[in-house]
Amino acid sequence: MDFDFTEDQVMLRNLTREFLTEQCPVAHVRAMMNDPRGYDSAIYHQLIQLGMLPFPETYGGAGLGMIEQAIILEEMGRIPYPGPYFATVILAGSAIMQSNDTNAMSRYLPDICNGRFTMTLAFLEDSIGWGPGEVAMPMTKEGGFYRLSGTKRFVPYGQSADVILVAARTGGSGADGVSLIAVPHDAAGLSIEPDVMMDMSTRTATLKFDDVRVPIENLIGAENEAWPVLEATLRIASVGAAAEMLGASRKSLEMSVDYAKVRKQFGQFIGQFQAVKHKLAEMLQKVEAAQSAVYYAAWALDANAPDAVLAASVAKSALNEASRSVCGEAIQVHGGIGFTWEYDLHLYFKRAKHLEPFYGNTEHHREKALQEVLAGRVAGATA
Amino acid sequence: MDLNYTAEDQAFRQHVRDWLKEHLPRKKPETMEEKRDWHNSLYQAGFLGMGWPKAYGGQEARPMEQAIVGEELARAGAPASLNGLGISIFAPTLIHHGTEQQKDDHVKKILTAEEIWCQLYSEPNSGSDLASLQCRADVDGDEFVINGQKIWTSGAYNSDWGMMLARTDRNAPKHNGISCIMIDMHAPGVEVRPLKQISGSQEFCEVFFTNVRVPADNLVGEMNSGWRIAQTTLGYERGGNSLSRVSRMLQSFDRLLDVAQTLRIDGTRAIDDPLIRQKLGEIYTEIEVLRYSSLRILSSLEKGQRPGPESSIAKLHYSELDKHIQEVIMDILGPYGQQIGGGPDEFKFTADSDEYGESGSWAYTFLYSRAGTIYAGSSEIQKNILGERVLGLPKEVRTDRIDLAQRAAAGTKGVE
Repeated sequence: MDFDFTEDQVMLRNLTREFLTEQCPVAHVRAMMNDPRGYDSAIYHQLIQLGMLPFPETYGGAGLGMIEQAIILEEMGRIPYPGPYFATVILAGSAIMQSNDTNAMSRYLPDICNGRFTMTLAFLEDSIGWGPGEVAMPMTKEGGFYRLSGTKRFVPYGQSADVILVAARTGGSGADGVSLIAVPHDAAGLSIEPDVMMDMSTRTATLKFDDVRVPIENLIGAENEAWPVLEATLRIASVGAAAEMLGASRKSLEMSVDYAKVRKQFGQFIGQFQAVKHKLAEMLQKVEAAQSAVYYAAWALDANAPDAVLAASVAKSALNEASRSVCGEAIQVHGGIGFTWEYDLHLYFKRAKHLEPFYGNTEHHREKALQEVLAGRVAGATA
Repeated sequence: MDLNYTAEDQAFRQHVRDWLKEHLPRKKPETMEEKRDWHNSLYQAGFLGMGWPKAYGGQEARPMEQAIVGEELARAGAPASLNGLGISIFAPTLIHHGTEQQKDDHVKKILTAEEIWCQLYSEPNSGSDLASLQCRADVDGDEFVINGQKIWTSGAYNSDWGMMLARTDRNAPKHNGISCIMIDMHAPGVEVRPLKQISGSQEFCEVFFTNVRVPADNLVGEMNSGWRIAQTTLGYERGGNSLSRVSRMLQSFDRLLDVAQTLRIDGTRAIDDPLIRQKLGEIYTEIEVLRYSSLRILSSLEKGQRPGPESSIAKLHYSELDKHIQEVIMDILGPYGQQIGGGPDEFKFTADSDEYGESGSWAYTFLYSRAGTIYAGSSEIQKNILGERVLGLPKEVRTDRIDLAQRAAAGTKGVE
């Protein structure tokens, strides 16, 4: 039983923190909030080439696991990093890996690893949810092409992605008949509108498909059999999002503690008052519990533990609750200054809130966790 | 990072499960003799004082082995051993701070429950502000003379010994005038009065001391160093054994899932009601987070790290979570959850819980959950510790400190 990071993992954290704090200071984040593209391609290229990608070395990756990705994403949550790392590596990259489609792997992964292009996953439609039934957009085969018509919503970095993996319905209902296909951003009939969202330091887009034709060789994995691939991808994404929310939460706590040590009211530092001190202690307890949840889940995914599905749902529901509370109470501790645009706290509050519904809200993951325990898929020691 | 149990750990867990299959009493021990029998079989199995040095009857077991035993005993719903506080707090205190004579006289007997020990800390006017305690131990020749009152003393009625914090210097600042003294509970002048608790049971007592004479050799550690000793022993209460608490929570949760399969609310099986499923998912995910956090603590204990003030994080976490879980259980079970006798077996926590205050009822575990955020330092005290000693926030302005400063300025000092 060893819950500590390895030396390599500590080095990875230090390297990521050093890179991000130097390259993406908060002034950069604020500049990107008003940038039409929303991120700096040069920084993204450097980031991708730090040698920390989860893909096999044969495709140019570093073969790292989910624990390492969680470490990187936690650091990104502390910035909060503006850019398509999550969309490209965690969403699209995981989907390609989970498909076991070696053609797709050699076609896309090397270009992800060398930073030549960015990718994303288009999942949500008008009805929002993360089960197989939400994938409704029809895709029909005709000759050497698939034809797609419909709308995909809230696609992470969909406005700038070079290739979009689209979840679509090729038959059946529910988990049967879901397929995944790679669509280039410049496909005829595809129109992309950036969404105008509360968290301006990250981007989503609405993708409208008006009889878009895509060559059949762009299919990822087998027709009608993409649901397990998407389910595994969403599971990885939920743990990744939880890690990013952990970073935003811990940063908010640190800012609040620092502020409570210097801000005076009634002739005292506000951190002396139990009303404030106790709130900060509660935030600390929540952040520490959240840290255990994120890294247990990341380990469970890497180790293919019997409770990996459960642990991912535990982590995402826990971080939804913890980050809502911690990032919110951070504003309360700061008072008026925390409510201003100039002060940086709202960046973390908004990033955490942005990630809350993604890859499953609290209710979604509590239900999923209950299903796992009812089916007996729990940790060996508790079985 | 590797959260797998080693093959050795798994084999040990199997050993504990096999042992429990053979030795767990079929009927809950009621009489003192039955309780002693169960205690002895735990002792013979080497499951008590596991982490202690072998010289004092321990096993020098790893924290992991101790955690596995705690987890499996809780999982099996095993009755508690006797002398829980003696084994978890006072014997380790003597091992760390006692004289060779004190260790020889008491440690082994605490382990075998030949001597049952209680904790004589809290007083009617000294709860969270424990250092304000007034029970006095005056030196008279080679004896202490004890006068005063203690309260909330669990199990004092059948204790042989008590570990007391008493004031030995009335002129020193309050934390510096306290000593730690072993008290023979059978000595003349010791009067124990039981207090009935919220749960209906009578584990609590008030203890009165009137001119109780105690040999000076019963002093533990240095004179007037009792506060420092108590800090280390309260740390034992706050830190460890988090996994066994998780096991107990999981045991309640598993039973709740069983009940939810048959209990009907508004004509629907509880387990089919989406709102109830949300509540079940909520507490289950929260218990799992506590389990992960407990593994994290265990991992650092395994590396020989001693928990510092951050052990208050675990204490705050499990005690507040327990209250929340018990409230949710009450929400789901409605009046069935409040039954303390009779009622249908299929909705009970355990089938044989018919007695008021019986620890096997949902009502008892619900009521008892209110204790966790008060004993061993209330949640408010834990938050002060976390705020000041972990987060480094400035200390609050406290009037007892102001008084002290003012008295020092006026050329006097003291606690009164």
